[in-house]
Amino acid sequence: MKTRKLLDYRKLAFNFHFAAFFVLSIVTLIPLAYTFRLSLFDYQLSKPGSLNIFIGLKNYKVLFTDPGFYKSLGITLIYVISSVSLEMVVGIILSLILHQIPFLRRMFSSMILVPMLIAPLVIGLIFSFFTNPQFGLYTHLVTKFKLPLPIVLLDKPVKALVTLIIMDVWQWAPYMTLIFLAGLQSIEGEYFEAADIDGCNGWQKFWKITMPLLKPIISVSVLLRAMEALKEFDKPYIYSGGGPGNATEVIDLYTYRQAFSSFKFSYASALCVVLFVLLLILGRIYQKFMMNKDL
Amino acid sequence: MKDKKPLKYATLYLFLIGFIVITLMPYFWLILTSFKHRVDAFAMPPKIISTLTLQNYFDVFITKGLIKNLWNSIIIMVAAVGISMGLGLPSAFAFSRFPTKHDSILLNYLLGTKFTPFVVLALPLYLIMSRLNILDTYLGIIIAHTAFNLPFVIWMMKGFFDSIPKEIDEAARIDGYSWFETFLKIDLRLAKSGIAATTVFCAVNSWNEFLMALILTGRTTKTIPVAIPGLLTPRGTLWGQIAAVGTVVTIPVLIFSLLVQKYMVSGLTMGAVKS
Repeated sequence: MKTRKLLDYRKLAFNFHFAAFFVLSIVTLIPLAYTFRLSLFDYQLSKPGSLNIFIGLKNYKVLFTDPGFYKSLGITLIYVISSVSLEMVVGIILSLILHQIPFLRRMFSSMILVPMLIAPLVIGLIFSFFTNPQFGLYTHLVTKFKLPLPIVLLDKPVKALVTLIIMDVWQWAPYMTLIFLAGLQSIEGEYFEAADIDGCNGWQKFWKITMPLLKPIISVSVLLRAMEALKEFDKPYIYSGGGPGNATEVIDLYTYRQAFSSFKFSYASALCVVLFVLLLILGRIYQKFMMNKDL
Repeated sequence: MKDKKPLKYATLYLFLIGFIVITLMPYFWLILTSFKHRVDAFAMPPKIISTLTLQNYFDVFITKGLIKNLWNSIIIMVAAVGISMGLGLPSAFAFSRFPTKHDSILLNYLLGTKFTPFVVLALPLYLIMSRLNILDTYLGIIIAHTAFNLPFVIWMMKGFFDSIPKEIDEAARIDGYSWFETFLKIDLRLAKSGIAATTVFCAVNSWNEFLMALILTGRTTKTIPVAIPGLLTPRGTLWGQIAAVGTVVTIPVLIFSLLVQKYMVSGLTMGAVKS
């Protein structure tokens, strides 16, 4: 009887899953396999017939000695680590505030989360417009109130990268806020009552109760955000175009340019494979968290 | 001790209001500019008050024809979301109701797909599609958008189906419903709000998506985000028009997302954290 039911389930599961996984494997596995295959060739648009020149792992050899790749990877890591940690800090502060206010919490949360709903490309535009040295409101405010902030943001590598990090924090700190707020709301009040009886002050309660209980949620959201930030493309593409020089050319933009500006399709494919493996490792860590921790 | 509370709350509210005003300022500035005349838009010092006009909207959508891109975006979004929901719902239901020992492999595969950088999929899709001659067709970009929406639908909806008690299904089965009928007539109905939320999140993902559309669409199928960079010209950019496009792209997203705000946390974490 038990095995019969299991067999039935297997058949049912197959029927319900089939269409989704059939389509999904066509749209993901085939392209991935194709990328991998292409990365072993020497396909460039400028070289006629190069689609069929097999060169084995040479693209990878070039890649691992390519200063452009390392620079871009470095920029991406700085970008990801700084934006995500800032987002985490801002998220913790804002969620604690939202958690404490007695009314209008829903309305304030709605207003806070607006930036993350805006298309990333439009965010790039909003900031281009806002910080335009000729007529931007930012420029005006900085001059008028004599704020100690630079007016031209895209002339120096560090300033450009910092501006992009601020844009990312602007967009995604609400994400952390919202998730942490959900986490805070799920913490039982009893813990705090017990702490009150023991005479803990607010600071102690935060470090000894709130933070440890929030830790799994923080880890999950930081990891998710980091994976998303690693894929950043839209904002640098429209705001800085990867410049000045290639100071803000994050890894997705670098790969895109190798493929669609230099038309080195095989080399770009090798980059894609490396990028994919990198994300797979992060994804593996994420999945460990998700399967083991009960949130 | 009690007297301290009002002061504390006042500080918190003031901080929140200040934070919101500062962070939303660039966005409101964009919306405001979209309704301004050209002269006022570039005035220095900036003019907050100006006579309002719809000229920018008319110029960019009608005269420049970006209404066509808006339409492309809508077609692609509706098709991609429809396909992803149509394929994803049964699969999510099966994960919830017919667990097998291969489930964890399949679920990990879905996660992997969701986390794959778009450029990694878009580059081979571009090369494959150019061979099949489906670049710059709706079909091509819809396929690409399905690749990231489908795993999302399955993960999200699995969570919603999990929260429906299994006893309800058993009762329907005893009444003589087949599993497929139970799924269609009972569980889909009970998961309504989850379906609504998932649909909105998918639609937003598709609507805001830029990189794949940039690579896979062309002159006839360009979506609205892809049409935007074309407005940034070296010979004097018309910021009023860009602001109008930015406003039109973002406002519907805001409205729909705030309607399903309750589910946003589970949407953002693919169900890992429940709201």
